Amino acid sequence: MSLKPRSLLTRRSLLAAAPLAALPLTAQAKPRFAPIAEEDLLVAFGHTSPINDGGWSQMHDKAIRALKAHFPKMRSLYVESVPYSADATRLFRQFVAEGAQMVISTSNYGDFIKDVADQAPDVGFLECDGNAVTSNLAWYYITHWYASYVIGIAAARLSRTGRLGYVASFPTSSVIASANATLLGARSVNPEATMRVISINSWFDPQAAASAGAALIDSGCDFLCGIMDDPGYLRVAEERNVWAAMWNTDMRQFGPKAYVSSVVLDFEAYYRETIAARIAGTWRPKGTFLTLGHGVDRDSWGARVPLAIQREADAARDRMLAGWSPFVGPIKDSNCQIRVPAGQTMTDMEIFHWSWQVEGVSGLV
Amino acid sequence: MTLWISLILHALAYGSILALAAQGEVLAERAGVINLGVEGLMALGAVTAVLAADASVSPWLGCLAAVAVGAGGALVLGLATVNGSANQTLCGVALTFLGLGLSAVIGHNVAGLPVAAGFSSWPIPVLSHLPLVGPLFDQSPFVYLAFGLLPLLCHIVLFRTRLGLSLRAVGENPGAADAVGIPVRRFRLGAVVIGGALAGLAGADMTLSVMPVWSEGMIAGRGWIAVALVIFCGYRPVLAAASSLLFGLVMSLSFFGQAQGWPVPPAILNMTPYLGTILFMIVPAMLLPGMRRFMAAPAALGTPYFREER
Repeated sequence: MSLKPRSLLTRRSLLAAAPLAALPLTAQAKPRFAPIAEEDLLVAFGHTSPINDGGWSQMHDKAIRALKAHFPKMRSLYVESVPYSADATRLFRQFVAEGAQMVISTSNYGDFIKDVADQAPDVGFLECDGNAVTSNLAWYYITHWYASYVIGIAAARLSRTGRLGYVASFPTSSVIASANATLLGARSVNPEATMRVISINSWFDPQAAASAGAALIDSGCDFLCGIMDDPGYLRVAEERNVWAAMWNTDMRQFGPKAYVSSVVLDFEAYYRETIAARIAGTWRPKGTFLTLGHGVDRDSWGARVPLAIQREADAARDRMLAGWSPFVGPIKDSNCQIRVPAGQTMTDMEIFHWSWQVEGVSGLV
Repeated sequence: MTLWISLILHALAYGSILALAAQGEVLAERAGVINLGVEGLMALGAVTAVLAADASVSPWLGCLAAVAVGAGGALVLGLATVNGSANQTLCGVALTFLGLGLSAVIGHNVAGLPVAAGFSSWPIPVLSHLPLVGPLFDQSPFVYLAFGLLPLLCHIVLFRTRLGLSLRAVGENPGAADAVGIPVRRFRLGAVVIGGALAGLAGADMTLSVMPVWSEGMIAGRGWIAVALVIFCGYRPVLAAASSLLFGLVMSLSFFGQAQGWPVPPAILNMTPYLGTILFMIVPAMLLPGMRRFMAAPAALGTPYFREER
């Protein structure tokens, strides 16, 4: 083997270095996210569904409306039902063209939003349920799995058969985390508990959710939970006299007898802090988890949930608020393989990206 | 066993939606007009049923409004295609888009909310107390209408009355029908309007009986399936009802299969109604050459009638 002395400056190395050289130049051009007057700030929101959907988008919209009290001079605009397609890119680009300094999408749009963010480096982009952090794109999400775990404990105590039914939308990591956490909570008090999942390929489809709920009850489930924006399966549970736990909002009016609780969301404080930081010029892109009690929680318990069960579930909630995590190994997947070794605690990031169903869950992935 | 009964109940409820829409389409196509606007008319019917039932707190008025809107929408289509001799396929597709878009707009504020008034089930006195099969006779009025009254009525009218003979003649050979003095355009317009009214009723069935709630996109291709069913059943009312029940069963299978934990991916199970549509279109036509005659479309289907070209 011989080491040939080689010139460092070849045409090839020059070409390779060219894009790198361009980077510091653009970064130096202007300080990003400089302080801005409140009346000059335009914040644009893109929602995945109509803002009166009774669930996810409605909770975001509620938080946005509450912002008006804190930032009366701030201007904002929103678009509902942004499709997960190249149309999303067009809409986000439109936001930038309108002069928005902050673009907030309340759902994951992947590359459709990242492409726009890359082309508009001075605009701050915030993506709920996103997973990329760039120089001007950040994500935020709720650690809903803790609330799901609390509800799971109540579910196992309320269910006579120990069979829980889950109405899912798509097998995404959020849904997997929600289903898994609920069953792990249930198994903490009833190790025999199982969960059957039906995916209906939609976040908002009352007809399909109701049909799925009915099919789950027919197959022996007496506790329904899920991740739907509509109260479809709650009403079936009310009719069929079984229990149901919901997502997003307090939905007890649609099934007062069946209602157990809900994973309720509150984005107001987070949005307030973000906007305040943007005005002050201190906003920097990073990933943010909204923790239990600060953006996500279980709803106040349903009227028919016995006090003893409420107390037992809330005891776990109190421990979690004090910093305890229930997601400690050994945790097996549905093939009985140990995926989280004994003693190891899953991080929020690992739970956020959960891709396998825990032992006892069937039909999800 | 109760599991299978519940599957059949589910199939009856969901099949009734298809049966009502398909029955209307049979009438329209027998008269020679393809109404591809069924999907849109169903959406309009579904949303007006909700709005009217909310306003009046009466399911009957909701139902009536849906029928009126369905008939009105079909009247527009009829005037364009029968009297205006416009292209039936294009007008029908346009009506579907119009109906889907319009229903989303006017239903925006009631989406996902419970309907103020819906139909409850009507138990048939003695039969509904039978063991095991009792629940089959405890259905919504739509189910009795879709699987009992309407197919029989349509069958008798189409094949046992002079009116039906005229209607079929208009669809088979409008020139000859015109020659014997049958008002071709009036017959065609009437059939399209009645078909549209039934499509509106199918929408009302969905939002006032099967699942009392409106949401955008809830028709989910059922209108198209109804159109396909009409071809599958060879333009026959009784067979249309029977094949609607079969499709209701196929549609229920996706939830049933997932609840039972069949080792089939949910995405595939959710495809079954649409895969079924394709299969039912292809298989009979390919396997049985003799079926071609049985399944033949009315000869003048889809072609506007010009007296001058007779």
